[in-house]
Amino acid sequence: MDTLEKLKILSDAAKYDASCSSSGSNRKNTNNGIGNGHNSGICHTWGADGRCISLLKILLSNCCIYDCKYCINRCTNTVKRATFTPKEVADLTINFYKRNYIEGLFLSSAVIKSPDHTMEMLIQAVTILRKDYNFNGYIHCKTIPGCSKELIDKLGNLVDRMSINIELPSNDSLKLLAPQKEKTGILEPMSYISNNIKIKKIDKSKFKTNFVPAGQTTQLIVGATPESDLKILKLSENLYKKLSLKRVYYSAYVSVNQDTNLPTLEKPPLLRENRLYQADWLLRYYGFEADELLNETHPNFNTLLDPKCDWALRNLDKFPIEINSASYFTLLRIPGIGVISAKKIITARRNFNLDFVALKKLGVVLKRAQFFITCKGKYYDKVYKMNHSFIETNLLSQERLILPKPQFKQLSLFDNLLPTKEDKIKCLTGSL
Amino acid sequence: MSNWKFINKTYLYDGTFDGLLTIVFNCYSTKTLPQNVENEQNYTNNFLDNTTFIQTDYEKSDRVFKGIEKNICYDALYNSYYTFLSNEKNKEINILKYLCSGFDIGPKINTMLTSSYVYKVISTKKRVYGECHRFKGLLRFIDVGNNLFYSSIHPDNNIIEPLGHHFISRLPTQNFIIHDKNRNIAFLYNGKTYKIEQMPKFVLPDVSDDEKLYQELWKSFFKSVTINERTNRRCQMQFMPKKYWKDLIEEQKGHD
Repeated sequence: MDTLEKLKILSDAAKYDASCSSSGSNRKNTNNGIGNGHNSGICHTWGADGRCISLLKILLSNCCIYDCKYCINRCTNTVKRATFTPKEVADLTINFYKRNYIEGLFLSSAVIKSPDHTMEMLIQAVTILRKDYNFNGYIHCKTIPGCSKELIDKLGNLVDRMSINIELPSNDSLKLLAPQKEKTGILEPMSYISNNIKIKKIDKSKFKTNFVPAGQTTQLIVGATPESDLKILKLSENLYKKLSLKRVYYSAYVSVNQDTNLPTLEKPPLLRENRLYQADWLLRYYGFEADELLNETHPNFNTLLDPKCDWALRNLDKFPIEINSASYFTLLRIPGIGVISAKKIITARRNFNLDFVALKKLGVVLKRAQFFITCKGKYYDKVYKMNHSFIETNLLSQERLILPKPQFKQLSLFDNLLPTKEDKIKCLTGSL
Repeated sequence: MSNWKFINKTYLYDGTFDGLLTIVFNCYSTKTLPQNVENEQNYTNNFLDNTTFIQTDYEKSDRVFKGIEKNICYDALYNSYYTFLSNEKNKEINILKYLCSGFDIGPKINTMLTSSYVYKVISTKKRVYGECHRFKGLLRFIDVGNNLFYSSIHPDNNIIEPLGHHFISRLPTQNFIIHDKNRNIAFLYNGKTYKIEQMPKFVLPDVSDDEKLYQELWKSFFKSVTINERTNRRCQMQFMPKKYWKDLIEEQKGHD
């Protein structure tokens, strides 16, 4: 099998991993080396599905010994199988990187023989890159659940980011769809990595090497199992707080397998995935908590409004907010005002009291924010009031264009043109 | 700048950053502001304008260069340089006002976002920096043999200098050419030093089989990593408008 064929199979198998960020690492280039890290990450191209492609996202192998029901590479599926040698992976990465096609490598793998054996193969590939080719670009590597800790240490010293995918957000779902995986097998290495990152960050000089400088991430599948949004978001919140993860990715479930335990979805639940990402940002950058956004009576997100608008409408007593006096985190709670706008407002109001004209000049978008703020004690428009239905109607009328449209059909005079049997009878009896 | 004198003059300069800084020096030392500043090469004479050509003086421009970092802040230097690289009209007069009032009030200048020239300079810098960042990803090198990589781009702003530095730190031992086809200038790097000059006549030679293979591999990777169930062309186009496609290997042979 030639490289082209292998690449086709193994990139096709890796594409369901959502993660493709290349940020968070500032690795410097060495003397005669190739590449460096870029703290903000660089996207190199965008695929036809609109997702950015910044890393060479491939599996080392798709010959899996596990039989997870949701996965396209489960051992009982009849798909083409292929395995790269570590050298092939390294060659491909270097040559793509030199031509500036990619920002680095995202290497994952199905479990070949045993977790430890797979990890050793991954380490081999990364070692060739780092040591033989002096590659200092970005490498994101998957950790195989259930491998030994020494191997995690070894890999962690070579790569920029590590990840273990939780995939299924509860124990029951895990038992149902991935019976060979265990919860502890996933969570234990995660907490081991996050502990190690903390220890080695405190005393950098002592350890000399950088252990996973861009942190670790994970992924959850949305829509394959019956968990509510609240449950998923709570899990993410705990992962951020307790294991200090950098990111949690959400992947809308794409029906690739047929199984009695799996739902059959015509389209992946993209809107739900989008709402979860919006809420995820609110957790990480806006100081929100999962319990504020959702609760037992509203366990799922509103499909019509984004999570922040939804929260604001349920908490109208906290509004309107005065732009010239509110604190940074209060500003962030206004729908339509994000981190950039809030920072701009804070900087600009040191010199002048801001009014709506000044806000527009700063580039603050007032589309949603106008209903929730006052400038120098005045509303945007005299008719505005803090009334739930008034604001909701206005917000919805703005969102109308991007929401899924109801299916209407133009009625036609000429449908069912041919007379039916009934018509003919009516004609005969003279009633038509 | 309340006690400054506005004079009815248009200053011309040679189109270099040093030239512009010389004008800043002259204006600040005499506390006068001209009506406009124009690049001599693009200027068409106008009956109403009262023009003066300002000769570039490296000693003066050096003093201003150091002075900006010392008396305003490093960001001000950054902002004015990136704005200088833009294709914005009237960028020179905005930079001039920005720097002159910057010398008056210090680093606080960057918070005066409601003043039009400060806002213009800072937002233009953002736009140019954004485009430069985009091309750090969208640029594609072609191996043309003899350890030389070539790439052509069509940027809106004159960004090849910061772009070139990015690739020097990435590929320090690789000779490369970045060709800005909109301006027909090139960033040439030979493994040790770099220079920016008019692009010499260059015909892209037939590439080696190795290069063809990697282009083929890249195209097939690009295709197979897409999830077909999630196709969203509009989203793709938003991030990567079609104007960039002509220089991209993966999009060259049309779609589907």
